[in-house]
Amino acid sequence: MLKKIALLAVTLGLGLMVACGAISPSGSFAPTHPQALEQGRPTCSECHGTDRVKSTQKTFASFDHTQAFVTNHKFAANQDPATCAACHAQSFCTDCHGGKTGMLPSTKLGNRPDRESPHRGDYLTMHRIDGKIDPTGCFKCHGRSNNEKCSACHK
Amino acid sequence: MRHSIHLALFATLVAGTGWSQDVAVSTTSIAQTWKQDTPGMSKGTFTPVTEFVGVDVAKISGQEALSFHMYGWGFADLADQSSLYGKHTGDLTYGYLQYNFTQANAELKAGRFTVNQGVGNEQVDGVSGRTDLRHDFTVSGFLGRPVVYKNEGDNHQQDIRYQQNVMFGARVAWHPSRLGEIGLDYLQDGSYAAKALNVPVPQPVDYTRRQVGLDMVLTPCSFIDLRGRTVFDAADNQTVAPGTASPSRIAEHDYSATAKLPRSFTLTGTFVERNYFAYYAGSTLPNLFRQNEQGMFKALGAKLIWEGVANLQVSGDVRRTDRALYGVATRTGADVRYNFSDAHVLAGAGVHKTNAFNITPVAVVPAAPGYSVSNNEMRAWVMAQRGKVSASLDAILIHYTDASSNPNLNGQSHESAVVGSLGYQPKANLKVSGDLTYEDNPIYRKQVMGLLRAQYQFGFSGKGGK
Repeated sequence: MLKKIALLAVTLGLGLMVACGAISPSGSFAPTHPQALEQGRPTCSECHGTDRVKSTQKTFASFDHTQAFVTNHKFAANQDPATCAACHAQSFCTDCHGGKTGMLPSTKLGNRPDRESPHRGDYLTMHRIDGKIDPTGCFKCHGRSNNEKCSACHK
Repeated sequence: MRHSIHLALFATLVAGTGWSQDVAVSTTSIAQTWKQDTPGMSKGTFTPVTEFVGVDVAKISGQEALSFHMYGWGFADLADQSSLYGKHTGDLTYGYLQYNFTQANAELKAGRFTVNQGVGNEQVDGVSGRTDLRHDFTVSGFLGRPVVYKNEGDNHQQDIRYQQNVMFGARVAWHPSRLGEIGLDYLQDGSYAAKALNVPVPQPVDYTRRQVGLDMVLTPCSFIDLRGRTVFDAADNQTVAPGTASPSRIAEHDYSATAKLPRSFTLTGTFVERNYFAYYAGSTLPNLFRQNEQGMFKALGAKLIWEGVANLQVSGDVRRTDRALYGVATRTGADVRYNFSDAHVLAGAGVHKTNAFNITPVAVVPAAPGYSVSNNEMRAWVMAQRGKVSASLDAILIHYTDASSNPNLNGQSHESAVVGSLGYQPKANLKVSGDLTYEDNPIYRKQVMGLLRAQYQFGFSGKGGK
């Protein structure tokens, strides 16, 4: 028994040493953007030019907050949450992506029309149209969670 | 179990706050009121109050790298019940301890958090970690219990909780120099398949998931950006009717390509293909997101953006969607945003036309005729700030092309909503605002709703997503 424990300890120790040796020696990405940004959507490449984010090898331009980036921000969020976190607290994401939300994002952010929250206006009418055209768009948020209201009618 | 997690998080918060140098608390209190007297609906006066609380504690016990983050909300109806959740409810959205290493972008998390990695976008009570490795590799993983909400009736809910007993995932990525990143990831939600259920139901619903994903971002230069992912359904417990060919296991292709062109133009193209059988695997609402609906959803889109003048962004877009069972729809439109930075005014407008004459909804009564869901949408908004006073106006108007034959529109061809907001910020960390909303829509007809909002921040505030 003692022999097995010793063998396990040695294996774990060696594994840990190999794992530590495999860790990149480079420094971490800045946890907070060093300068305050102006109001509105930032264009990272305005200051960073053609530079690349050291840790991810992506260009700063690929994080420019254009209309297309805002629509497709899921890719950046899934691969580079640390880059997002330099400016955004997680509560910024959960305004819309909370598993169970206290109210519609567009109601909570009624004084922030620039945020383009989903489901503006009376979405009860419009969801019958969007749902027929593309139900996979609904599934992303309501297919696994936050669908108690859905199941009230879609039994 | 749920209460013990909340208690542990609260104890951690109290302990962490006590030993920390930097504590930030942000609260948003919202009181709403509206009256419902729509013919055919239950009448009522609603005055719900909702409180959102966020806490960020940094430098716990003097350690720069250790922090605590929490966000949650509580809700109560002061008059008639306005929500399906009941007259009072709440939720802990996240609450976790985080340790950020100064080397290799390494981090550890423990508590309730949202996982964003590869195919995963999940709420978990558990632990996670990530680090960069030598030779341009990154590895991350998580393990815990999924946060399961009440989705179904009690019997089905028991099945959901039984099957979603554990969740874990891992992602390995390689980011070669000056190219981008390619990732391979796996996610498993639940270890008990439906067939393990000892219930007298011939075909119990399977709520478990196993997904494998390939994701990539290629940015060979600053003006080209290709990104996207392909997701596979790897569960071995899905069944098909005897004699039927096995459907594809490819759940999703989702890709976009962006090119920065001369003269301040940017062009983005998108391609999406989703196979219902694999994409809807594990849905907790299988009667709505139906795996047995054969076929695919496909979409092709393009967006052209022009930023030739400072603070101005103009975009035009088109998206063609094809749902196998229903038909083709095309959405075209344009948006404009302008930041009058000197005057502290931000404004935007958009016009979109959805041509869905070819969408043929499946009628409940087979003999009933189909109807078009085509519509035109217009939206305009403006935000302004002068000293301590801020104001915003947001208006949306939708015109339905075929209102007479669409039974969901109750004969009304349009809907509109206008939200006006006025705010006052007496101190940098305190802001109060009031919203007045007017709606005219086919379901509730005309409605006026009021909202009061108080936002307060205490302590340091390093970020927040303004």
